[in-house]
Amino acid sequence: MSSQKKRTFQIEAFKHRVVVDPKYAEKTWKVLEHAIHEIYNHNASGLSFEELYSHSPLPLDGVWNTLFRIHQFMPWCKNSEVAWNAYNMVLHKFGEKLYSGLVTTMTSHLKEISQSIESAQGEIFLEELNRKWIDHNKALQMIRDILMYMDRTFIPSSHKTPVHELGLNLWRDVVIHSSKTQARLRDTLLELVLRERNGEVINRGLMRNIIKMLMDLGLSVYQEDFEKHFLSVSANFYCLESQKFIETCDCGDYLKKAERRLNEEIERVSHYLDPRSEIKITNVVEKEMIDSHMHTLVHMENSGLVNMLVDDKYEDLGRMYSLFRRVPTGLTVVKDVMTAFVRDTGKQLVMDPERLRDPVDFVQRLLDLKDKYDKIINMSFTNDKTFQNALNSSFEHFINLNARSPEFISLFVDDKLRRGLKGVGEEDVEIVLDKVMMLFRYLQEKDVFEKYYKQHLAKRLLSGKTISDDAERSLIVKLKTECGYQFTSKLEGMFTDMKTSYDTMQGFYASQSDVGDSPSLVVHVLTTGSWPTQPSPQCNLPSELLGVCEKFRAYYLGTHNGRRLSWQTNMGTADLKATFGKGQKHELNVSTYQMCVLMLFNNADRLTCKEIEQATGIPLLDLKRCLQSLACVKGKNVLRKEPMSKDIAEDDTFFFNDKFTSKFFKVKIGTVVAQRESEPENLETRQRVEEDRKPQIEAAIVRIMKSRRTLDHNNIVAEVTKQLQSRFLPNPVVIKKRIESLIEREFLERDRVDRKLYRYLA
Amino acid sequence: MPRPKRKAAVPTRSSDADSSARPEPKKPRGNQFNRIDQLFESYVNKTLGLIDPEGIEALCNDVNVNHTDVRMLIFAWKMKAEKQGYFSKDEWRRGLKCLGADTRPKLKKAIEGLDKELKVPECFEDFYSYAFQYCLTEEKQRSVDIETICELLNIVLKSEFPNQVNLLVEYLKVGKQLFKLIYVQNDYRALNMDQWRSFYRFFKEVDFHDLENYDSSQAWTVIIDNFVEWLKEKEKN
Repeated sequence: MSSQKKRTFQIEAFKHRVVVDPKYAEKTWKVLEHAIHEIYNHNASGLSFEELYSHSPLPLDGVWNTLFRIHQFMPWCKNSEVAWNAYNMVLHKFGEKLYSGLVTTMTSHLKEISQSIESAQGEIFLEELNRKWIDHNKALQMIRDILMYMDRTFIPSSHKTPVHELGLNLWRDVVIHSSKTQARLRDTLLELVLRERNGEVINRGLMRNIIKMLMDLGLSVYQEDFEKHFLSVSANFYCLESQKFIETCDCGDYLKKAERRLNEEIERVSHYLDPRSEIKITNVVEKEMIDSHMHTLVHMENSGLVNMLVDDKYEDLGRMYSLFRRVPTGLTVVKDVMTAFVRDTGKQLVMDPERLRDPVDFVQRLLDLKDKYDKIINMSFTNDKTFQNALNSSFEHFINLNARSPEFISLFVDDKLRRGLKGVGEEDVEIVLDKVMMLFRYLQEKDVFEKYYKQHLAKRLLSGKTISDDAERSLIVKLKTECGYQFTSKLEGMFTDMKTSYDTMQGFYASQSDVGDSPSLVVHVLTTGSWPTQPSPQCNLPSELLGVCEKFRAYYLGTHNGRRLSWQTNMGTADLKATFGKGQKHELNVSTYQMCVLMLFNNADRLTCKEIEQATGIPLLDLKRCLQSLACVKGKNVLRKEPMSKDIAEDDTFFFNDKFTSKFFKVKIGTVVAQRESEPENLETRQRVEEDRKPQIEAAIVRIMKSRRTLDHNNIVAEVTKQLQSRFLPNPVVIKKRIESLIEREFLERDRVDRKLYRYLA
Repeated sequence: MPRPKRKAAVPTRSSDADSSARPEPKKPRGNQFNRIDQLFESYVNKTLGLIDPEGIEALCNDVNVNHTDVRMLIFAWKMKAEKQGYFSKDEWRRGLKCLGADTRPKLKKAIEGLDKELKVPECFEDFYSYAFQYCLTEEKQRSVDIETICELLNIVLKSEFPNQVNLLVEYLKVGKQLFKLIYVQNDYRALNMDQWRSFYRFFKEVDFHDLENYDSSQAWTVIIDNFVEWLKEKEKN
């Protein structure tokens, strides 16, 4: 080793003569060959600088670079003889010899290296490989520097592999792909991965270097020698592991494990594999751990998706969502199972006879169900729109399974507006109403809802039992936004009538000079057409009332010419002052019918049902209900009945109940509260709705045919359905019948030839 | 509506084979027309100036054809008779000209052979619709009661579709009875022209043995849809 003296370098001018002499080439090569050997033997001390590095005098900068570097690493270099030698060889077109010599020499050295690696035992194998690789790279670099001129001129022109690349290829072919090393390398790497997966700590740095070596040798080497096998072995590994987990874990735990493995693999890639492997290995894990077991997991007894939904396991559900999202059709499976379950739950809810007894509870449970799943979709499914849509369609499906849903929703609203929302702040009222609107949107038979809503609203208004005018109006506005002006114009008319009636009453009492003993009368004048009409045969009002009623009629007709008034005796209320046997006084709040019945007992001690019917003129069914409410309800039995049965027969006798007692002074016996319809009433309402639909369907048909002139059957049905869908879903058979009716009335005709085609007759 | 070319069974002086297509017959050709009028006079109700049911009865006796026979109906069709049970002079003239008959024997022969008139499908359809029309007695009437419909079916369609007619008649009568017992939205008490027409088309187009392929979205009338349902139920039992 020579001392590292700082030397100044001078470029000597090119003094040598160019000699073309084969023997010269041979000699020159020998020098180079020796130099290369020495490099590999880490024994460059015996070489002169110029022997090692040959460059042409041009370009000068290349020479300077190399000289500088050599000064750093090879202080023992002495002269530039060798450099010129190589240059000469190339110049005289002995590049071929140089190149092939390089290949041979390098190959033979690598063979030695390969053997030494092969003989390494156990753990040392990889370390040895790594060390030798590092050395090879260093040597390669030096050789390339020596032969840089050749690299730049001869090699491109003769299309040979550049030195560096040559060096890598030879390493690959001789060392890595040696019959003993190739398999061993692969197996060693895979074994390390396995051990790491099983929990051991391995030498990640070493792994990284080896893997990087493979990548340096070319992507195909990395893939063929390592990645391909890595993926296939991993697939087996996870296949077995997932099988084991499935048999021993419940769904939640399994998913946790799968997630952990997935994260592990991602981390592994980031530490010592090529980044492009990430997606491939994650695909393997996803396939083996999730895709293969999707259905088993989802349907796992006691812990599967349905259980998670029932128990609101947000975290588990979130994990399932994020894992299943990674595999094709994963989310579809989850969504389908959820949808089926929601539909099932909903269906049970709406068809359960127990639930049907209490409409308010029925609707509340629907709302609770919606809230529950909204929360799940929010917390665990990242508000995924497809899940929202699936939930909506499920609700739409089962809500309409029960034909009474529209009625019940209206009753729910009625309950809320009558008392449920008492004392609730404005914002919270809005929230409840918005939820109601959401359920309303699911209804297919919105016109049925309208019918009931009108009835219930009428009762609320007339009995003065609404807690908040603002809330009522707010809901009407929402309905208008949803369904258009037509839907709500009549409802608004009802409110107007109430206000007008108030003003009318003021006017009436102002005009009456002498009130006297007559009962005080409050009249609501209802515009026919806005209010739900129920045919109300006139019942016989008690004589005490007739006077003031007539006065009102006269007053009203005096100020409103050309109108007709008819008393709606089935809709009114009355407050009666009653004195019982022991002198106890009570004020009874009753319906008009009940008033008529009770007033009879001022003049009679006992009356049969039939006698009461004749005296009052109340329709029998209503009368029976009325008598029941007066005689058969505990705490409100102001009448006594013989026999004491609940049913009313025509011969049953009624007595004024002297012994009536109540804690309260004011006793409410009115039956004017909106309640769930009895079966016959329900049937009747439904019939009326069907009747109302016929003209709407006909109008739609005529509208469509007027604009289209001719249209075939299926298209008419589709168009009509589309036009009416915001109100109800028309039955295709009913549409057909309406068409036939229109044919009979000569609005339409059937085409002579094509029976399916209809024509509009102007 | 095109009328088939008739081969004159009787050498006729009238070249008007198409007379029934035109509302008014041509100016009479002497004797023939007089004979037709005379025949009319032999049956006419003098007060009304029309042939009334009694006169028709007499005619039926003379030609030896029952008044419920389909041929009498075809005869009415040829005449384009408007009012059931009565023939006006114009109608009589029209009919007999059409048949090329001006004497009683010729008339008898012609009427006897009338059922052959219906061989051509277009003719039959026209006649078929006419048969329904003929039953409408009142001004604004558009439908005919079930009983009459059933009779009409028997007269008009039974020869060609005996099995089908029997089934349909059975169904219509059942429907009529059921109407009283259950709430049926259909108007089974009477049927209109559109429904009437649909029966013939149905018999022609649909094979009763192959009802599985019946498609109720194919704009058949509702009564036919229900009829098919009933047939299917019947077959099961």
